[in-house]
Amino acid sequence: MIRPSTDLPLSDDPASRYLPWTVGLLVFLATLSLAAGMILSSAGENWRRSISGTLTIQVPAGPDQQTSAQSAIDLLRATPGVDSVRRISGGEVATMLEPWLGTQVSTLDLPMPVLIDATVDSGKSIDIEALSTRLSAVAPGTVVDEHAVWLRRLTDLAAIAETVSLSVMVFVLISAIMTVVFTTRTGLAIHSDVVEVLHLIGAHDSYVARQFQVHTLWLAGIGAAAGFALGAGAILVLQIYGARLSGGLLPDIALSGLQWGVLCLMPVAAVLLVVATVGVTVRRVLGRLT
Amino acid sequence: MVALLLSGSDSGRRADGYAILPPNPFRKEKLVAAVGDIVRFESVGMRYRLGAEVLHDVSFSLAAGSFHFLTGPSGAGKSSLMRLMYLAHRPSRGSISMFGRDVSTVPRPELAALRRRIGVVFQDFRLLDHLSALDNVALPLRIAGAKEGQIRDHVAELLRWVGLEEQIDAKPTTLSGGEQQRVAIARAVIARPQILLADEPTGNVDGEIAIRLMYLLEELNKIGTTVVVATHNEALLERFPHPRIRIENGILAGPDGANAAPETAET
Repeated sequence: MIRPSTDLPLSDDPASRYLPWTVGLLVFLATLSLAAGMILSSAGENWRRSISGTLTIQVPAGPDQQTSAQSAIDLLRATPGVDSVRRISGGEVATMLEPWLGTQVSTLDLPMPVLIDATVDSGKSIDIEALSTRLSAVAPGTVVDEHAVWLRRLTDLAAIAETVSLSVMVFVLISAIMTVVFTTRTGLAIHSDVVEVLHLIGAHDSYVARQFQVHTLWLAGIGAAAGFALGAGAILVLQIYGARLSGGLLPDIALSGLQWGVLCLMPVAAVLLVVATVGVTVRRVLGRLT
Repeated sequence: MVALLLSGSDSGRRADGYAILPPNPFRKEKLVAAVGDIVRFESVGMRYRLGAEVLHDVSFSLAAGSFHFLTGPSGAGKSSLMRLMYLAHRPSRGSISMFGRDVSTVPRPELAALRRRIGVVFQDFRLLDHLSALDNVALPLRIAGAKEGQIRDHVAELLRWVGLEEQIDAKPTTLSGGEQQRVAIARAVIARPQILLADEPTGNVDGEIAIRLMYLLEELNKIGTTVVVATHNEALLERFPHPRIRIENGILAGPDGANAAPETAET
């Protein structure tokens, strides 16, 4: 394998031998964490966008269900602030229930409510309580489901999960930094005699630091590339399998082009962080010498 | 042009057996003996960490372009004195001036520049075993930022000059003691230092090679390099009558063993 040559025999160090594996594993985990964070962020945004400003009205099953449903639709259309009203067809309801009840929902003869979707003008507010009372008067037993309440809970949950994912990524990078600091200090201790010779010949601390950085750039680069390839592969596999689970059970786990771009920057940033850490560590340790 | 007596190489050698010192393309300033002291010790004491003092009240000065032997029995403090001169250690008291600068006040980043003006031949060579002879000798040039394209030819020429043209790519572990010694000397002189410090340079080689090395050091001295050789090789001292600095029990001693700054140090 072609390696950059250095004045220090760093390639023989036991500690640096494991550096590609360590960096690879950490970049793999960081890739997954960052991807999870971005997916959750997108999912939260999609949920927010798709169902904010909508109401779902349920007209319960009963002998006057169809009449009550039509009365409710008429009332909603006459209500100021309601943009559009749409009765959800039986077929759509069956599709929604399919994950739980299977494909033969229509043959089960279940007492299904009539569902009505109403879109509220984003610039106006509606008194849900008053609307609910008026609907109950024309269609007894009608339930108004305002999405905003559970949407807030859902998006809060997504935000928490996103924060946890990004925190995991930060912890992983901190672990990478600590590992690199340990490896570098070990390398300096092992090669203290060679470092002293370099100093006595006239090397600045930055020259010695550069030796370590070149070596680490190579090892961390290999590890980061492998770790990212594995992480990206895992995300693609999840994306393919996730796409097969249609029906809205899972949020869309496909990453956009921009998100892939951000993800590709992660291993580069990780390597730069590691190399910078090595430089700082070497300079700090050598700076304490006389 | 300077003539050097060498073994092993015929390249660049005159008919009388003297080799010609290759020119150094990296050295811009002229290497003529500077006026004044290049080294000045004043009441210097030295200890390792919290241990007992190994050097006491050492005071002397070396004129630029001089050649001195540093002598004394084993354990007298020769290597400690050398360590102070090649800036591997700071004095615990007193002051040391190198090239006119008080080293105790030189900031750490500037020490590197001072060290580049000092060539050191370590007692145990301290070659880097994983590097070839060429890369070992090239180190000072690389550290000084010389262009890679120029380094190889110049280093190869110097290795030919010290009779190691066949061992350019050899690792130090495959070289004999004498060959390692010559690589160490080549490394010490490649950047044409103003002062060359050699700690027991003949300690690991036989008599004939020791004499050849001494001729080599003398020739470097003739082109203006200040040379200090630490040795307790009496035969060498007799054959090469240069001024001596004698040290015993960490104290500079006069010719009769009395504690005194040696007259011979003032050249």
